[in-house]
Amino acid sequence: MMRAAPIRSLPILLLFASIRCVGQHDTLPDGVDLSRCALCHSCKEPTHENPCLRPCERPPESATVTLSATAVPDVLVLGQLSELYVPVVFPHKIHMDMESMADGCNVCHHHNPPGRILACRECHGGPSNQENLKQPSLKGAYHRQCLSCHREWSHETDCNVCHVRRTAANEANLPGASDVSDIMGRLHPNISAPDKWVYSATEMSDGPVVSFHHQEHIQLFGLKCVDCHRKENCSRCHNGEPRDLKPRVREDPHEDCARCHDTSDNCALCHRRAETTGFNHATRTGFALKAYHAKLECSRCHLAPKQFAGLDPECESCHPAEWIPEPFDHALAGLILDETHVEVSCADCHTAGLGKPVTCGECHDDARAPLDKPPGKKP
Amino acid sequence: MHLDRRQFLEVLGTTAFTAVGATPAGASGGDSHEDPMGMLVDTTNCIGCRKCEFACSQAHHLNDLPVEAFEDKAVFENHRRMDANALTVVNRFPNEEEPDKPTYVKSNCLHCLNPGCVSACLVGALQKTETGAVVYDPWKCIGCRYCMVACPFEVPAYEFLEPLAPRVRKCDFCAERTAEGKIPACAEMCPPMCLTYGKRSELLQMAREKIEERPDRYVHRIYGEEEAGGTAWLYLAPKEFEQLGFIHLGSEGVPVLTETIQHSIFRYGVLPLMLFGLLGATMRSLGPEVEPEPAISPIGQADEQTLSP
Repeated sequence: MMRAAPIRSLPILLLFASIRCVGQHDTLPDGVDLSRCALCHSCKEPTHENPCLRPCERPPESATVTLSATAVPDVLVLGQLSELYVPVVFPHKIHMDMESMADGCNVCHHHNPPGRILACRECHGGPSNQENLKQPSLKGAYHRQCLSCHREWSHETDCNVCHVRRTAANEANLPGASDVSDIMGRLHPNISAPDKWVYSATEMSDGPVVSFHHQEHIQLFGLKCVDCHRKENCSRCHNGEPRDLKPRVREDPHEDCARCHDTSDNCALCHRRAETTGFNHATRTGFALKAYHAKLECSRCHLAPKQFAGLDPECESCHPAEWIPEPFDHALAGLILDETHVEVSCADCHTAGLGKPVTCGECHDDARAPLDKPPGKKP
Repeated sequence: MHLDRRQFLEVLGTTAFTAVGATPAGASGGDSHEDPMGMLVDTTNCIGCRKCEFACSQAHHLNDLPVEAFEDKAVFENHRRMDANALTVVNRFPNEEEPDKPTYVKSNCLHCLNPGCVSACLVGALQKTETGAVVYDPWKCIGCRYCMVACPFEVPAYEFLEPLAPRVRKCDFCAERTAEGKIPACAEMCPPMCLTYGKRSELLQMAREKIEERPDRYVHRIYGEEEAGGTAWLYLAPKEFEQLGFIHLGSEGVPVLTETIQHSIFRYGVLPLMLFGLLGATMRSLGPEVEPEPAISPIGQADEQTLSP
């Protein structure tokens, strides 16, 4: 329709194009700057289906492109050489927060056309760019980008600083095998997490001492570092030098706890007069976790999320009467379920209920009752 | 063996002309290729990882050393030269302004556009190919090592430890690989891609643009653009090349002077002809005083009489 009079309708076309540009790229600065659309799009009327994108042409020197980070990845796993080396974990967000990168995203995302921030590989594509000599391939781009700063900072340019050779020993710890977004993964060397933090809240006369069992939250409750340590950056813990640490400062002291715990009332749960010991299932609930139960994750019994109280301590609440799952070895409880006993229902022996002393007299007379081996668990 | 004056002149003349004819064969490596391939080395990106040395060693089967053998940074304590088992070596040069960022320079054959070694080779064992590589044929080589003397960059090395069939060794610009469409091994391996393989004219243009874009990063000169009549390998550096182990050379090709003299002397055989003409004239002018003809004529007549039927 418009092609009938292309010259006269050109302004209209351009206007449409500009509207589309602005519509799709919310980061495009205000105003209708037609020249900017043409930076990325080769056709006059780019559509979502056919954006007719140019192959990453550099914006002209005059066009200063402001990049703003909205949702940025925490870490990037660069696994192009993963057959040879352990994939390189690039802590993207930490780099973003570094003070010396004050120039913003443009430090690394150079020559980014207006709009979306492009990943390195989108321009620096294949293994070698013999067509465009000026544009280094992905390998060259990565190395130049990293080494331009790290040569100066860490003085370490050995390959193994980033590329750990794959061996059978480190196979289990490959990024991807574990969650790389966890700080304790590969992002930070040897954090010696404390067992317990004791905070003083002197303004609370009833409970000035708050004990936070740090290690317990990791080991017992299965939390990852990033579950609490969100939006971390170097300067929150370090005063410039790696060893020069500073205490963490929270605007709201309940900030981290409140994600899981209700901090609006029930202050006495944490605010005590003295330090508390760690969580003990037996003293807190009256149900000791022994043998199999100690190995279970909390969620195996506490099915509803964040709902821990009120679980019936009776065995039958979890174990129905016909319960003999395959991996359970009844012999550990003191009796081998041989051909005869496997036919007997649980309640025939467990007359007082599961977990209570059993009786053999229902089937065995006194002479045959195994008096020398009273029912019970093996020592 | 008796030669008369005529035969003597004939033999000498033939020898002289053969020599004249043979000379250009060894010196045919002039700047005849319009746009040879080249390599641009950006030393500001080099981190001294020595992966190029490893890649070269693998590609040319120089030794069976594993990659770990090339991770030793202690070699930078001493300035190294190429040898028969290392066709390329990386050297470190201190950076006074920023001691943490020393400059690393990869050395290898620069593949001159007008190579001295090719000109010096008596037997044509060294040749410049159409792609711009200076390659070596061990089957032609006679081991004279003139190439080693002729090279201003002291590149060709010799297998002194090979008593039976020693070869001259130097970078061959991975002629075998490039013939298969691959790029030279060092350029393929280089992690920060300091090495860019491409047409020399494009590389020159690229180097100029780099200097223009980052005038503070580079010394405003491209080594190899003019040096020794131009080389296929071009270098960018953060400071004067002479401080980085590069020798100062004029813009004239290495063999230009010698070839000019040789070719002028023997062009069309003018000078030998002139000399022999002079010799002939001298002998002729001395001729009448000797007058040997009457002394031998009776014997000649006797022979003729005996042979005639």
